[in-house]
Amino acid sequence: MNISKNLDENTKKLKQELVSDDITFLDIKLNNTNGILVFINDLVNKDTLGELILRPIAFCKETPSENALFEMFLSPEKKQIFEIEKLIDDLLLGNAILLCDGISFGLSFGLKHFEKRAITEPPTSTVIKGPREGFVESLSVNISMMRRKLKSKKLIFENLTIGEYSGTPISICYIKGIARKSLVEQVKKRLNKIEIDAVLDSSYISKFLSEHKFSLFKQIGNTEKPDILAGKILEGRVAIFVDGSPIALTVPYLLIEDFQSASDYYNSSYSATVARYIRVISVAIALLLPALFVSAELFHLQLIPLSFLLTIVNSIKGIPLSPSYEMFFTLLIFEILNEASVRMPKYVGMVVSIVGGLVLGETAVNAGIISAPTLMIVALSGICLYTVPELEQTFSVLRIVFLIVAGTLGAYGILIFIALLAIYLISFESYSTPLCAPFSPLILKDMKDGIYKGFLQEFEYRPESLKNKNKRRIKIKD
Amino acid sequence: MYQLKTRQICFFIIAFLPITKFFSLPSLITSFAKEDLWISALISLAIDFITLIPIVYVCKKTDKTFFEIIEDVFGENGAKIIAFLYLIYFMSKAILPLNEQKDYVEYTLYTLKPNVFYFLPLFILAFYMCFKRIRVLGRLADILWVVTINGFITLIVLSLSNADFSAILPIGASGIKNIVHGSIASFNWFGDSAIIFLLVGSFKWEKGSSLKILLSYVLGAVMVLLFMIIFYSIFTSIAFRQRFALTEVSKYTTVINNLGRFDYIGIFMILFSNMFALCLPIYFSSKLLDYIFSIKIIWISPVIVVGFQLIITLFLYQYFVSIEMFMTSYFAIYFFVFGNIVPIIISLITLRRNKYAIKEG
Repeated sequence: MNISKNLDENTKKLKQELVSDDITFLDIKLNNTNGILVFINDLVNKDTLGELILRPIAFCKETPSENALFEMFLSPEKKQIFEIEKLIDDLLLGNAILLCDGISFGLSFGLKHFEKRAITEPPTSTVIKGPREGFVESLSVNISMMRRKLKSKKLIFENLTIGEYSGTPISICYIKGIARKSLVEQVKKRLNKIEIDAVLDSSYISKFLSEHKFSLFKQIGNTEKPDILAGKILEGRVAIFVDGSPIALTVPYLLIEDFQSASDYYNSSYSATVARYIRVISVAIALLLPALFVSAELFHLQLIPLSFLLTIVNSIKGIPLSPSYEMFFTLLIFEILNEASVRMPKYVGMVVSIVGGLVLGETAVNAGIISAPTLMIVALSGICLYTVPELEQTFSVLRIVFLIVAGTLGAYGILIFIALLAIYLISFESYSTPLCAPFSPLILKDMKDGIYKGFLQEFEYRPESLKNKNKRRIKIKD
Repeated sequence: MYQLKTRQICFFIIAFLPITKFFSLPSLITSFAKEDLWISALISLAIDFITLIPIVYVCKKTDKTFFEIIEDVFGENGAKIIAFLYLIYFMSKAILPLNEQKDYVEYTLYTLKPNVFYFLPLFILAFYMCFKRIRVLGRLADILWVVTINGFITLIVLSLSNADFSAILPIGASGIKNIVHGSIASFNWFGDSAIIFLLVGSFKWEKGSSLKILLSYVLGAVMVLLFMIIFYSIFTSIAFRQRFALTEVSKYTTVINNLGRFDYIGIFMILFSNMFALCLPIYFSSKLLDYIFSIKIIWISPVIVVGFQLIITLFLYQYFVSIEMFMTSYFAIYFFVFGNIVPIIISLITLRRNKYAIKEG
């Protein structure tokens, strides 16, 4: 509905729509012209409002024309709006709006002022070497952090709002000329399709961006660090920021991303390569060790060296549970402790780790409920999984499935389950990018950041897995 | 659009084709050719290699797929008959290796012999694989060639110290008749060119592709021959009794005394690749069935072909020895004809027609 020249009519419409008590309707006078200033009490910066909006109004000596009205305010963030609905949307974003009698548009002033959390190092990706700043919940702060990292006119932010009740601002970020046009369009198309009550976190959006909604596996990348995000969009990915979330999403996602740590790029290539192998081995241990141990105990005793077999036999003597139940319940207790320690207040968390780790574990072994090797394997598996925290949720589910398969079918069952997973993962594509690239399909040029971490000078071209047109990223002048 | 790359075809050959020959085949050939088992294997490999040459040239000269080629040569109805004969070929080709794998799993992997149901999840894998496009085979090959090669190297390194290579001498001692007999008996496990023939037209031809594909086959053949030689060099006169060669060759190494069955790492690698290799005939059978009856619903063919193999494995395993005898004697000719002769004939006709078409063009 268009804004009319009659102020009373506009005010009436606004008051009908905006009935909440925290919205202020301030009557003003511009010389002889009546006007109304509307804003949400706790969202606007009152000092700036007084200085940039109310002061020029107070000193206004003559009735302003439509052009003069726009010019008289010094606010750097101002715009004309011609529809009541858009005016309301702007107001709800935290802007102040001004309507005047005889003027057929409203003015919106960007005077948002929220309390923000300070920029800190994200707890999920701490580094010894390298930048320590992390994104915060404010979209504008996150955008400014990206702008500070990439001072290029080709860094594009495209804004949109999603959420019928939350009206959450969302920003798509990419580098023009590097990100595939089709990819940007695909992301925009998917975002525009979303109709939802509220977007309370970026994880809400990631569910809608995922192509396979029932998949256990992650399809959208995420990061809390501007340096990692800058690296990712420089490779041709598209990022999505959600106001209120410190986690930026990225597409397309490759499985290898989660094995690449930020510190890999700041440390020497040798140590980064070793660290990467350690992560892969750790994940394999976390996922398969409980299952392999159970299957060896139940079905394949010939696989265990004799001396180790004797140790196991001694330790399981008198244990009332079968190996698979024993492992399953120990894993279950581990998951319960894990879940409790995340949710409990920090000062109780300390007690939980002591009670869970030492008292429960040791007492259970001494009481002959579980065996020491089982406890050790569960502990090792639990620790190993956290070397790649991004995959923790997926792999803890898979670990249980592997355990069930091992307990019923043995090692051959484990092999078949791995084979099924392998077929599933290698045929999995998201945003026209294979999840398992550069290993399957094999892309040799991308191996320098896959099977090993090459030297920076070797990263002459952007990853082929992401199918960019702009390929070169490093050129050494003669 | 091409679904595969030449690289993937090469990896496919290395990853899948040699490993099916590492289970009961060495002992089977030994029962005929004794110390000359490798010559029997070499004959079968050479026949396959000769078959592969015109197939590779067909790939070079035309972009047509296997189905388009047989339609060109035999017409639409004739093509369906040929496809049906190939369906029988692949369905029968799958039976012995699947049963051999079942026995292998039951007798060697478990401390106590499990029942047949422990083996059945393999059919879930085969069923799932049938839903996938050829592109997935290429991607599988991209990772599995590493698994196969590593598994093979682990086993060979561990078994070399026990091999007495003089056991295969004198060459040709068992006589030409026995060698040829051994070769004929092995046709079920060979005829790999027919699989490549079905992949014709699904990959983009690049410069040097012929050489790469043929060299990959040679590498695969060397793996098979090396395994056969080492197998006989370890077990000599009792080799024909070692039905599960894969588990046997490396178990006498001294490392095992200290570390347990360390060699199982290699065995499991081979076993892992072999699971996919076993599914290949089933996969191609389902594609052939789709073509023959123009089936559009994707689950029908997988249900039929996997169901057929499942029934055979479940209910006919007590007749396995008779089935094996039939497959390795009378039916071997069928494997030879459709694994080698027919692909050569169709390839030569296609090449000839292509030559005339170019001339007329």
